[in-house]
Amino acid sequence: MNAVHTRLFGLLASSWGSLLIYFYQSGRLHKYLAPDFHHLIMFGGIGILILGVYSIINPQEKKSSCGHEHQHEAHHHACDHDHGHDHSHDHHHDHHHDHHHDDDCSDCSHEHEEGHGPLITILLTIIPLSIAMNFTEDKLSNTGLSKKGLYEAPNLTNFASIPPFTRADIEKRVPKNEHGEFELRLINAYYAAGDREIQDIYDGLPVELEGRIAPEKINNESGNRMRIFRSIMTCCASDLQVIGISLEFPEDVAKSEEGDWVKAGGILTFETINGTVVPLLKVRGVNLAEEPYSEFLLRQ
Amino acid sequence: MTEQTKDQLADGSYEFLSIFLEGLPFIFLGTLVSGFLGTYLPRGAFEKFLPKNRTLAILMSGFLGAIFPVCECAVVPVIRRLVKNGLPVGCALAYMLAAPIFNPVTAISTYKAFNNSHEIALSRLAMGYIVAIIIALIVSRIAHDLFLKASAKKDEGHEHHHPRNLNSALNNSLRDFMDVGLYFCIGVVLTAILKTTIIDPTDDFWKNLADNSILGGAGMMILAFVLSLCSTSDAFIAANFANFKYGPKLAFMVFGPMMDAKLIFLYSTVFKWKFIAFLFVAIFILTGALSILFETQILRIWMTPDQPIPLTP
Repeated sequence: MNAVHTRLFGLLASSWGSLLIYFYQSGRLHKYLAPDFHHLIMFGGIGILILGVYSIINPQEKKSSCGHEHQHEAHHHACDHDHGHDHSHDHHHDHHHDHHHDDDCSDCSHEHEEGHGPLITILLTIIPLSIAMNFTEDKLSNTGLSKKGLYEAPNLTNFASIPPFTRADIEKRVPKNEHGEFELRLINAYYAAGDREIQDIYDGLPVELEGRIAPEKINNESGNRMRIFRSIMTCCASDLQVIGISLEFPEDVAKSEEGDWVKAGGILTFETINGTVVPLLKVRGVNLAEEPYSEFLLRQ
Repeated sequence: MTEQTKDQLADGSYEFLSIFLEGLPFIFLGTLVSGFLGTYLPRGAFEKFLPKNRTLAILMSGFLGAIFPVCECAVVPVIRRLVKNGLPVGCALAYMLAAPIFNPVTAISTYKAFNNSHEIALSRLAMGYIVAIIIALIVSRIAHDLFLKASAKKDEGHEHHHPRNLNSALNNSLRDFMDVGLYFCIGVVLTAILKTTIIDPTDDFWKNLADNSILGGAGMMILAFVLSLCSTSDAFIAANFANFKYGPKLAFMVFGPMMDAKLIFLYSTVFKWKFIAFLFVAIFILTGALSILFETQILRIWMTPDQPIPLTP
């Protein structure tokens, strides 16, 4: 690598490092990654930035001590790899670098430094990054949410590890809102559909669920349904799982808008669609609520 | 531009950025380590620590992930540099393939994802180790010229006396970071495109594979390849494919960390493409066969008859 290449690579590394720091600093990172990773991103960004700036300020000119400078870029190589020879080392022998690369490369027994030039690397990384930065909305579209399970029924669940509980336990542990509805976590209501005993406990319970609103695509011929959902993140947005519950609105309650963050109160029931039990909230009322800093439920 | 295209572009951008942001610091750490190893580690240093017996050395290398846990992204630049410094390729391959699975972080996440099932966590670790060792033993008997890229081969011939200073180490790190970062970026682009255009895990096509252990296993491995999930989080996704049996889920959790859409580009910084294709087929067949074996034989021994197989978190 000559000094110009090193500086260009240093510039690219600096831009990647700055990108990480920007996402951390701007707060946008919580839309993409679980909190466990946030400090790692910041320190990673700083480290990459330092490496980049160091390389710009202090590019290491690759010269061999055998008295000649290697300018392999000028060669026309017949072989399919880049000959950016790393000659920062001392050669304790006569070493004639008269490469005739129209020949087979098998004679080159010294270190071959693989890799593309800085311009190719810059081009192939900055273009997708620029496109992504330009088009991302920091969230998934409804199609994307569907692929993550928005309209999927809860799976059969093994609750063996959960201690048995009754409705009286819910009375003791779960707070109520001003309408006397239990402020139940949406995930609890969702997974209850996978277990008959827990269904019995929750069925008919007045609850309030908090989450984001999406259109309903299942069992919604009359058009009086929406879906409330939460997303579960383990590491990053790529591993998101979305869980949703159908909301059935009575005629006198205005339906929410897609994308609203709401608290929906009503009676939790269960219905069977295509042989699968799914939860349904018969809505009493819906209120817009303040969005949490991060809307994702996290694995503990 | 249609609404569907707009959604795909936005979703693809979101997926791309999430994987890129998560993976880049790990790549950086890996290349930082590789840069310093390349500068300060004497050539052939590993030969002193590993057993002389090749098979024993490979068996031991498969366990290294438990001591030096690394994710699948960070391990590639490290093993590239280690091979260059004289670590036998079989050992490097055993470490590279086993480490993302055979490590405490992955073990705990799998245990948690499957409702505290040590049987499933252990099955995953055992399968990952066995697949890695078998492939490493096969590869150790093949001439390295056939699959290693020129840049990854051990320095032969005349001795190069590299300067051992910070300058040289950082220069090596930068070069490695740029090489691996480029291929990582290309891999993530491919992953994002596949995830937003072709593959829909909720599609009936995937659900219909669930009843057949062979087709289910193959389908889940292809899905793991496309989804390119981190080995610490993939168990939670696997657990939620409720209709699938235990075997296909194991196949998903073993194949993915060893071979996915972004990893093939990272592997291409070390191996020739023909070898990566061989690696794909070998891991696919071995993992598929072992997943059936574990489902039909091993699990039945490990788990009591009345104990249900946990399915979801």
